[in-house]
Amino acid sequence: MAHDPVRLELIKNAVGSVVDEMVLTVVRIAYSSIMKDTMDLSSAFCDRDGRMIAQGLSLPLHLGSFPDAMDGMLAEFRGKLAPGDVVILNDPYLGGMHLPDIFMFRPVFIGDHLLGYGVVVAHHNDIGGRVPGSSAADSTEIFQEGLRIPPLKLYERGVPNETLFRMIGLNVRVPDVVLGDLQAQVAACRIAERGMSELAAKYGIAELEHYFNELLDYSEREARRTIRAIPDGSYTCTDYLDDDGITPDQPVPVKVSLHVNGDELTVDLTGTSPQVKGAINSTLSFAKSAVYFALRSIMESDAPSNSGFMRPIRVTAPLGCLVNPRPPGACAARGVSGFRIIDAMFGALAQVLPERVRAAGEGGTTSYSIGGYDAAGRYVLFREAIMGAWGAGYRREGIDGVANPAANISNAPIEQVENQAPIVVERYELVPDSGGPGTWRGGLAVERQLRFVGERATLQLRSDRRNHPPYGLAGGRPGAPSCNYVSDGERWDVWPTKFTRPIRRGQALRHVTAGGGGYGDPLERDPERVLADVRDGKVTIEAAASEYGVKILPEPLQLDRAGTERLRAEMRRGARPAIGTAA
Amino acid sequence: MSGGAAAPFRVGVDIGGTFTDVVFLRPDGLLDKRKVPSTPADYSQAIIDGMRAFCRECGVSADRVAEFTHATTVATNAILERKGARAALLATEGFRDVLELRRIRIPLSYNLDWEKPAPLVERALRFPVKERVNANGEIVIALDRAALEPILAQLQAERVQSVAVCFLHSYRNPAHEKMAGKFLRERLPGVAVSLSCEVLPEMLEFERTSTTVVNAYVAPLITSYLEALRARLSECGIRAPLLVMQSNGGLTSAVSAMKRPVTIIESGPAAGVVAAARLACECGYPNVITLDMGGTTTKASIIERGKILRATEYEVGSPVSVSSRLVRGSGYLIRIPVIDVSEVGAGGGSIARLDAGGALRVGPRSAGALPGPACYAQGNDDPTVTDANLVLGYLAADSLAGGSLKVNRALAVKAVQARIATPAGFTLLDAAFGIHTVANSNMVRAIKSVSVERGRDPADFVMVAFGGAGPVHAAGVAEELGIGKVLIPPAPGVFSAFGLLRAQVEHHAAHTVLVSTADLRYGEVEQVFADLRRDLMTRIRDEGFAESAVQIVPLVDLRYRGQSSEITVPLGSLRVTAQAIRDAEEAFEAEFERTYGHRGETKEFELVTCRLVVTVARGIEHGANWIADAAVTQIRGAERDIYFGGERGMLRTKVLSRLALAAGACRGPAIIQEYDTTVVVPPGWAVALDGHGNILMERRT
Repeated sequence: MAHDPVRLELIKNAVGSVVDEMVLTVVRIAYSSIMKDTMDLSSAFCDRDGRMIAQGLSLPLHLGSFPDAMDGMLAEFRGKLAPGDVVILNDPYLGGMHLPDIFMFRPVFIGDHLLGYGVVVAHHNDIGGRVPGSSAADSTEIFQEGLRIPPLKLYERGVPNETLFRMIGLNVRVPDVVLGDLQAQVAACRIAERGMSELAAKYGIAELEHYFNELLDYSEREARRTIRAIPDGSYTCTDYLDDDGITPDQPVPVKVSLHVNGDELTVDLTGTSPQVKGAINSTLSFAKSAVYFALRSIMESDAPSNSGFMRPIRVTAPLGCLVNPRPPGACAARGVSGFRIIDAMFGALAQVLPERVRAAGEGGTTSYSIGGYDAAGRYVLFREAIMGAWGAGYRREGIDGVANPAANISNAPIEQVENQAPIVVERYELVPDSGGPGTWRGGLAVERQLRFVGERATLQLRSDRRNHPPYGLAGGRPGAPSCNYVSDGERWDVWPTKFTRPIRRGQALRHVTAGGGGYGDPLERDPERVLADVRDGKVTIEAAASEYGVKILPEPLQLDRAGTERLRAEMRRGARPAIGTAA
Repeated sequence: MSGGAAAPFRVGVDIGGTFTDVVFLRPDGLLDKRKVPSTPADYSQAIIDGMRAFCRECGVSADRVAEFTHATTVATNAILERKGARAALLATEGFRDVLELRRIRIPLSYNLDWEKPAPLVERALRFPVKERVNANGEIVIALDRAALEPILAQLQAERVQSVAVCFLHSYRNPAHEKMAGKFLRERLPGVAVSLSCEVLPEMLEFERTSTTVVNAYVAPLITSYLEALRARLSECGIRAPLLVMQSNGGLTSAVSAMKRPVTIIESGPAAGVVAAARLACECGYPNVITLDMGGTTTKASIIERGKILRATEYEVGSPVSVSSRLVRGSGYLIRIPVIDVSEVGAGGGSIARLDAGGALRVGPRSAGALPGPACYAQGNDDPTVTDANLVLGYLAADSLAGGSLKVNRALAVKAVQARIATPAGFTLLDAAFGIHTVANSNMVRAIKSVSVERGRDPADFVMVAFGGAGPVHAAGVAEELGIGKVLIPPAPGVFSAFGLLRAQVEHHAAHTVLVSTADLRYGEVEQVFADLRRDLMTRIRDEGFAESAVQIVPLVDLRYRGQSSEITVPLGSLRVTAQAIRDAEEAFEAEFERTYGHRGETKEFELVTCRLVVTVARGIEHGANWIADAAVTQIRGAERDIYFGGERGMLRTKVLSRLALAAGACRGPAIIQEYDTTVVVPPGWAVALDGHGNILMERRT
């Protein structure tokens, strides 16, 4: 063995604790709810060549984005940085993902030796552009989406770049919040410098850099082991986005083809929709993130998420398609395309590893923002994410009301929302019968209803999975579709999956997420489990009969075993449509 | 109540999963201890056994016990094993799933096998109630008593034993909760009722709901446990007050504990930290990091300027494989003042393995007490930290539990050789040293998560190490953290039980006000404090303590306007003045800067929560001497070979007793052998006995 397993573990722990501390620092200091409460951010330490050595919690979908961002930054500043410099970047066509995500880099120097970079990417509340929150799905070119920042120095040898600060401050709707949150990122990068300097002092630069290589090799070995467990061959799956945010009901296909050859994997996204007019285009770096996430999820080891993991994986997509757009394609709402790539990846893997993956979950977080004026005339920008459900898997129930595993973020506490924003939350509950029926039931959807009690504002929302609900596996049924409703006070009108519109005092929004897909034939589900779900109001008596063939008698609730057997026999004879995977 | 004329014969009992530790402060002023096996079927049995044996051996009568203090894991176990009450929850209509939805976030990334812990109240027993209070505390939908009737019928039909009530914004206006509480208490005699406005009148609906539900879930069980214990103590003639340790480090009466059982969850670890804080104070060390290493986990906490650092919330039953605070959502959240203890799955029984990628891992899987480490010869072949320590010579085959626990070194050697040394191409000793070192690094991570993450540098602290395995690893862990001084108190294996004798009675109360300090009406805030004070004084009086012995500390949670995390700072007095608020703001900013390295951009502050802490001194917080341990006074002139790794290699090392140190300091390498632990003094460290009977290790190189 070329390395010392003890030292490998020690240095792995130490670097892991530095990057985790970076995330904690942002979470503790930041102003915005999206950083503090939902924790839409990630940290990393990259070596001097830009290779990611460790990724901090918290947002898994940022996993693959750091290397491309590093490349973007280094293209400008390789060999040109000094201690105390801080560089920021957000432009998707220069290494970023979408404009609200600001990457920040700080070189870590040990004396005059450049050891690497502390990097933090965090989602900001607003970066300007035509719609509050800067995340609208219905923009058509990036110039509408906000301030584009190429790699630029925010600090030069510790001295703030006032020009850049003033430029950012003037271009965003909530400058206090955005500038405060940027300071939180700065503090986190400083933590990286301190923590890595301590490690260098302890182990020496040469030893530390040797173990950077060892850590990359370590994760590479685990990635190769994971790929080797997938039988050689090609596996394809196509899933769909409902629309591009501009043209309703025009499906946008996302196609993945996995080519497994020994311990190497190529994921080809050819066949995915061409670049679209709306803002759901996703940079290739984010598409790679989604692919890495899916593979990382079936890996059995907890080896660090670093560039080594990515070595045996090649991700390709033709230029000019949905997941590798040309400028000036809009991409603020690209998150939903990443979620769909993951769903398609799992759909493809289900063909060979059905027991490792799960049926599709809700299809990604629904995010919305309300920007406008409260009753006192003060400008308020509020945004949050609504989640979610997990699909069922082999001998695994789906999970009701839970974060998407790829975007592990928190909900916003209702009492906090009502104290800070002109919003009253009227309902936040699980939705009965929304989990895809199966031997193992898909997770229930979540419903959130809120009323605007300010003066006037712009409401922007991004959702999906209405026309293409989350697929089931192995005979399991799909989860229930999502929906959006807006009310003037009396009537509820259905609104598209993605929209931007004005709202005024008293108007209300109701969003229902999609439910998770089921696994296995629902007629094989243990009737006791169906009864328990009925008791809990998670499945209705009617659905117990129509979906599961389980007859339940009311008052008091009990199982009619004979009735169930008769009903199930009848349903097995009848012509029930065969349900397969999304492909 | 206080010691006074009657001879102070006091008892502290700490029930753990394997052993029940009993510490006695005897009539002659000496401390004594007993370790007896726990009796999970009826935990009070072990207590009574220990008491009876002690009284018989010492020829004292049980009726001379002046005070009985107790730490218990009964509540924690009830949650872990899902053996609590059949509980129901009443929630605002539209929000019955707040409990199950939690904060949505999952504790692990990239894990498709994760399962959400099942809610302590199933959905069928969560009842929506038509009512609504808004964020200003105004009633928007009035609660109609008649609407509760059908719920009542269901609660009866379902034979519910305990009911939690949590309505939105009840911290602002508790009228509806109180109305529902009155109704339930009148109509459901014998059913425990927990109202969120009584358990936790603070903002954040999930945190408040979860805390109230945990309270409801364990209430009936805690009540019957404490009543049974009370009865059994009476049977042996003990009529002394029964005091219970809370997770905040203060004692409370059994009666209060029955009303607020959520406060006594995780009381054992708290007692050890309290003892460490007292010790540090006596020895003149204001800043201390505690290291409490047991069989399965290691716990760390911080004492700063003599004060124990507290956290505002805790998750019961979350796995301890990762120490980071980012990991949330794996257990049952309770939001109460709790000693900030960070825990990692690295204890004596933690199993070492080489993973497929080629890294040496230690824990979180543990061999526990059964089968235990390989050297226990009870069927486990995997090497544990204890096995490694035995191979290295830190532990001797006859050194565990005063030689009463026989271990087989050959089995430890075999396990380390076969599972680690051979596959990794290491010598046996280097493999064992690797296990020891990786275990240390896991502990370092636990300590960092309570220190560095708060902006503190561990190097500024003194370490106090206890628990059976703590003193074996203390110096090594201290070196990693740059700590130069380590204290090992007498009887480190029963240190938590000892802490019970030294704790104060302590109560906390809090109320969310959420108001900008610029718009503050001083009279209203004073009224909030007056109400809190009245509640707490009633509790103190009910417990039988004199009001004159009470110390009151008002605190406020402040934050910058728009931020959502608060810092608790002292408020000068119960009289709220512009100056007092300014001082609090300054204290907040100073602490903010200490933690985050800068002050906020704004000078606008929000007062989020008012807090009051009352403490009652019990008059026995001073030190006392332990009676000598027969088993460890006999060591004379012993030496053994011990491996210290790397360049230090194998060294001939003297083995001493604590008493032998009294004759004079010595330099490492050395081993101090005690009844319930072994202290490892590596080369480069000096060791001496201080004036308080503690072993003091100091780094010299």
